[in-house]
Amino acid sequence: MTEIADETIDRTDRDTATPDYDEAFDAIVVGAGLAGSAAAVTMAKQDLAVLLIERGRYPGAKNVFGGVLYTPTLRELVDIDDAPLERYIGERRFGMLTDADETAVSISPGQWHDPPHNDSYTVLRGEFDRWFAEQAVDAGATLVTETTVTDLVREGGRIVGVETDRPDGTIRAPYVVLAEGGNSLVSEGANLKKTERPENIAVGVKEVLEFPDHENAIEERFRLTDEAGVSYHYFGEGAVGDAFGGGFIYTNEDTVSVGLAYRLSDAATSQPDPEGTLNAFKTHPAVAPLLRDARTVEYTAKTIPEGGADSIPELVHDGAVIVGDAAGLVLNNGVHLEGTNMAVESGYHAGNAVAEAADSGRPDSEVLGQYREDLTDSFVVENLERYEWLMETVKNDRELLFETLPRAMADAGSEYFQMDRAPKGEHADAARDRLLSAVGGYTGAAKLAFRYRKLI
Amino acid sequence: MSAQPKVPTVENESLEDRLYTVKYEDPGESHLDVTIPGICAEKCTTYDCTSVCPANVWRKGEDGVPQIAYENCLECSSCRFACPHGNVEWSYPETGSGVTYKNG
Repeated sequence: MTEIADETIDRTDRDTATPDYDEAFDAIVVGAGLAGSAAAVTMAKQDLAVLLIERGRYPGAKNVFGGVLYTPTLRELVDIDDAPLERYIGERRFGMLTDADETAVSISPGQWHDPPHNDSYTVLRGEFDRWFAEQAVDAGATLVTETTVTDLVREGGRIVGVETDRPDGTIRAPYVVLAEGGNSLVSEGANLKKTERPENIAVGVKEVLEFPDHENAIEERFRLTDEAGVSYHYFGEGAVGDAFGGGFIYTNEDTVSVGLAYRLSDAATSQPDPEGTLNAFKTHPAVAPLLRDARTVEYTAKTIPEGGADSIPELVHDGAVIVGDAAGLVLNNGVHLEGTNMAVESGYHAGNAVAEAADSGRPDSEVLGQYREDLTDSFVVENLERYEWLMETVKNDRELLFETLPRAMADAGSEYFQMDRAPKGEHADAARDRLLSAVGGYTGAAKLAFRYRKLI
Repeated sequence: MSAQPKVPTVENESLEDRLYTVKYEDPGESHLDVTIPGICAEKCTTYDCTSVCPANVWRKGEDGVPQIAYENCLECSSCRFACPHGNVEWSYPETGSGVTYKNG
């Protein structure tokens, strides 16, 4: 067991001489991912004695994500100047793929090249999460790794600690922050949340690739200078077949992350397996030139809770709060793919509520409830609620949006730019007719615009 | 100029080679199981566990009960969420064993 204790903690009630952790800590955080470390930093800064428990060999060892870390809250909590960031996002590109075509939109505002770079950076979790947990330790938290929380300890209904897989592994503390991730075995086992339906879970697979024979492959293929990077998102049948989801390419410093995520309910039916779907995406004619001659550095997989606002479990329990992916705090509305910022935000608010509860001595159902209120007032719940309608609408329109429309856009594009001896007007009319036929004429187009009016 | 540009070949590595990129420590016993084998054998017709797994952990068994190659597991938990019968037993590999991601 790795222990990194910090002598600066000045809790008079803490007996540092005994290896028995009981009552030594004010709060236990389950999981040293983004939400857990954010909570730990927040509480340690307010002089709580915090135990941060991680089941992996080091923080990040069990963690996978697509690739972009959003830092607006994070940089308020810690100084990210020394953080292991890979590249900032200087360009975002959205590509619609049919089996052979791509129709894409790219944006690269000049200001993204200036600090703070729109608070968007690629990172590798094995490095970043380790660094972030170190910031919690520097603030006074105690980190233990290779230790798995297997259950919660209750006393008269109240959660008063955790069971671990270590010998005599019961550790008691007045507060527990559950930051165990989307595969929430502890929270579910303790009946604090229900198992999500496969319709609300995405399976994600990812490869980190390197280009051993091409030193400047990343800079040249993605048109990058210095620390600039890109975020490419892909939709349509060329990305994920007829599943509901999408593919991505993100540039790291010396590698690229390529992967995809789509609903488990689709993965169970009409698809090749996730690995086969990834292989097909990587060999798409619009994607393959970006990835040729690459070698796999790492292959990873994870599940993503994408149930939105309706899937958020009860966040506050007697003696415990739930944060991050465990609380289902992920936004995927097609254009925005966010979870890292929500994890940090939730950890921050939960940490503050626990610190408040520990200091005030008031009944904690009341004080911990502040976490629920703060999160509801924050961008996290607001954004999830804002796009709740969108997911339903997109699901109902999925064939139109992911198959019919991408094909019509590709056809209309080639029609519009068709080089022959016919007058431009004829091609423009034909291109318009092709698009209109896909959406059901002017009436259909108006209905479509109405269905998505809240997007703008 | 040829009419169709040749799409450059992207060499997709085999699953075996892909799994070889991930550091792995065998926990000694499977962290995965089925709760009631009879449900797989008699009730299940779809074997969603085998369709969703990114690492070929779950394989259709001859007796109708999936075989579990737990040492392939990337700990994504897709099988647990996908099983329509809630019949997947999933526990975290203990004391740091299982996969260790370097990049993640």
